[in-house]
Amino acid sequence: MAYKTVKKITNPKKKKGDQTLGKLYPTNGKTKVFVRREWRGVKDTLYDYSRWLYIMSILARFIAKPRNIKAMFRYRWMANYLAVPYMMDKFTLGLRDEPLRITHTAMNFVIYDVAKTMDNIFKGDRRTGNDEEFSKTCVLTDENAMTAFMMGFKDTTAILREVPTMFVANLLTQNSTTHYLDVAQEFGLPGDVCPMPEAEAGISIDDDFAVLGCCAVQVNTTCDGSLMGNGVIAHRLEREYGIPTFQLSAPMRHREDDVQEYAARDMQEAVKFIEEHAHEKWSWKRYFESAARVNDATKHRAFWLETNSTDYPQFCGSVFSLYNDTNYMGNCGRSELFPPKDKKISKLVEQGYKKKTMMAPEYRHRCIVWGVQPQYNIHMLYWMIHCWGVLPLTDMLSMVNTLPIAEDDTPENREKAWYDMAWLNENMIMRNRTHGGYKVLVDELWEFCEIMNADMVMMWEHMSCKALDGLHGQFEEQGRERGIHVVWVCHDLCDPRVYTRQAIRDEFSQYMRTVLREEPLDPTIEHIPDENMW
Amino acid sequence: MKDLKHLLYFENLLQNANNELIEQAKAEGNICAAFTCENIPEPLLNIGNAFSVRLFAPNSGSLDIATYYMTSFLCETSRALLERAIEGGYNFADCLVAADGCTMMNRAAENMELLHTMDEGKSNFFYHFMEIPLKATEIGVDLMKLQVQNHILNPLHEHYGVDVSEEAIRKAVEEHNEVCRLIRELGEFRKEEDPRITGYEFAVFTLATYLAPKYLLIDKLRETLEEVKTREPDGKKWRARVVVVGSEVDDVAFIKLIEDTGTYVCADRYCFGSLPGRVPIEIDDNSEDDIITQICRHYTMKGQCPRMMNMEKVYGRKKYVNDIAKEYNADGVIYEQVKFCDPWAYERMLGSHMLREDYGFPVLSVDRPYNISSGAGQMRTRVQAFIESIEIKKLQGGVK
Repeated sequence: MAYKTVKKITNPKKKKGDQTLGKLYPTNGKTKVFVRREWRGVKDTLYDYSRWLYIMSILARFIAKPRNIKAMFRYRWMANYLAVPYMMDKFTLGLRDEPLRITHTAMNFVIYDVAKTMDNIFKGDRRTGNDEEFSKTCVLTDENAMTAFMMGFKDTTAILREVPTMFVANLLTQNSTTHYLDVAQEFGLPGDVCPMPEAEAGISIDDDFAVLGCCAVQVNTTCDGSLMGNGVIAHRLEREYGIPTFQLSAPMRHREDDVQEYAARDMQEAVKFIEEHAHEKWSWKRYFESAARVNDATKHRAFWLETNSTDYPQFCGSVFSLYNDTNYMGNCGRSELFPPKDKKISKLVEQGYKKKTMMAPEYRHRCIVWGVQPQYNIHMLYWMIHCWGVLPLTDMLSMVNTLPIAEDDTPENREKAWYDMAWLNENMIMRNRTHGGYKVLVDELWEFCEIMNADMVMMWEHMSCKALDGLHGQFEEQGRERGIHVVWVCHDLCDPRVYTRQAIRDEFSQYMRTVLREEPLDPTIEHIPDENMW
Repeated sequence: MKDLKHLLYFENLLQNANNELIEQAKAEGNICAAFTCENIPEPLLNIGNAFSVRLFAPNSGSLDIATYYMTSFLCETSRALLERAIEGGYNFADCLVAADGCTMMNRAAENMELLHTMDEGKSNFFYHFMEIPLKATEIGVDLMKLQVQNHILNPLHEHYGVDVSEEAIRKAVEEHNEVCRLIRELGEFRKEEDPRITGYEFAVFTLATYLAPKYLLIDKLRETLEEVKTREPDGKKWRARVVVVGSEVDDVAFIKLIEDTGTYVCADRYCFGSLPGRVPIEIDDNSEDDIITQICRHYTMKGQCPRMMNMEKVYGRKKYVNDIAKEYNADGVIYEQVKFCDPWAYERMLGSHMLREDYGFPVLSVDRPYNISSGAGQMRTRVQAFIESIEIKKLQGGVK
């Protein structure tokens, strides 16, 4: 079968400012950041700089508190947060106009949200802020947890303790987890398990998590490793710090009707557990307000995806995934601050679409990014646009729930709500694809290719992700049968020692050169000396 | 000791996935229900004219094709099973009931389905995937009930007209319990100071009970039990006694390797072992619960699968190992894991620390290949070093 092709779209407008991006990278192999800020023309450079100052102001406000300075010296992973401004530079590299503004709007809010989470963490942390009253109102949750079970609590705070400690830290600096991986392996964990739960277990073994909360709710999130890592972490929480834990189970076959009752009943148990330990009663009013916001976020995400199905996508790349992750899962309708951001982003998306704004001089391929991203090289999606004109339309992590949940407070809906929360929990990011059978991982990928008119799948092959690796051959064969280019890009999630950033890019470039016989749009970034950069 | 009369027969059963008893049962017109996970209630696959066979892949060599489909990072058990399925080694099966338990075994079964490895030309063949509870709770029991109804009983009845009546289930449980009692009685001899059955022999008998129709094995098991009762121990001085804990041991040469170092394997707490895999299911006829509920409760509550994530189970699994180590007079514990198995990777890490620190047992923590022959030398060295360390502690009077 012939391979599918899509029409090439050339940008009629010349990009303002820097035309090539390779010049921004240091050549000495030592500098951690870009050699200078990107020149994007007067208007966009000023906008970008003002947003850069805004990020600095978030950091300044955060570090002004003595407890946070204390945390800087207590927790090894805190040093990674020096790299926040540079992270934004990676995510906005080469962007102009609406995509630049969309990326800043979304990601700056994620930064604000993480800073707030960290501030809360250290407020309650027994070693730094030690605000015992506040700590009693906090519930610890997992990094990849859908916080649906918190939607009906007003005064109880969900603390996603692993997000700043591990998840975000590795976005900031590529080597942030290596110490913790070594700790876990010295403790006896094999090096072949997924490094994300392994690093989290390592942080716990190293006693480098902040300690707070009246209880913890753990979830079998993405994989067996994630499920099993919970035991290691709970062992420390319960036995050393006296923090009781609850394990909320999300069924693996989450699309099947005969597991939904099980999931809903366990959700009720989780809420009961939180009520008991946080001493706050579940509020249906609060829940349904949150549910309405979840639906609102779903509608906006659907609109962004719809726009990305056209010739002029606007909200793409790593930040699309990270924002969805934060909004859909970490927030799950609980915050009133997200809807205005969603609205603003939608306005910019619409504006950019109408103006036919493009992110590169040429769009050659329309690509769906599938699999689990390398946390330390997640910004590579922007590189694909600028270097090869390959447009990442969406990614696996963003293809989550699209169904509305009940948002009116009626007796029937109160019963349905347990099923809705369970459904959200089952469909948390990543696990909704890596579990649930091959239909949700393989079959639906080809459906998305059809809907979004993609001719290519960039397959992140996270080598320790057994759920994905287990269908490797099926992706290969079915991709060939359907005439979709499947570009395999191997990595080890958050351990750059195993697969460097350049090794990852090389795999992609090799396919572009040898199979598609194409030349890069911007050859100055085909090889980037970022081995030692943050 | 004098060789057991049926040992060779049982050993030969383990040489091929399609053993002669499966062929005999099929020739008698019975339906072969293949399964992959010990969390699947086995007696429910043995109702009416159906009989269960757990998939395994003895004498596995190259796993090239399975590695193409699942990469080299999936556990060797899952790849060995897929490879065998692609080779046509499971063509005797009339259905496959898999569990979405550990991810890798689930993917192996999904690949079997997608590649039509067993169903070519069989119009009634079905693949079914069960959800297994993640916690030992009553909610989990209810889930299990629904799952066995939807993924075992209904399809067996609809596709093959298998009798799924309560009477048929009771009969299957009786047969299952009889096998369990025979195996447990054989296992009791391992507690003796001078045991009259080796850990290897016991592993052979136990494994065979998962791989062949039970009704064709029972007589030989009974005979073996009688034989062992009067068997004279040879007075061999074992250097130490160990419990083996971890992933499934499909290659019993692994147990033999340990015993060849002079170490007696006194208890088996691994997937498809006898503890707790061959604990009889207690059925209370006066209970308000029906028989399916009681079976499901047994599998949900008594199972020791590392995937069970509630902390009572997480701690309970280590206590269980401690209890059997004490009951069987073990000097140490070997935590083993098939390479790349995630659940046992974490379980052996935490378990080896807790057994050592909380319960005071010397622990060897190792990973191993599915087929031990590809790593026998390294494994022997590890076991020998472990046993020497136990001996030195004994000599020096150190803490047990």
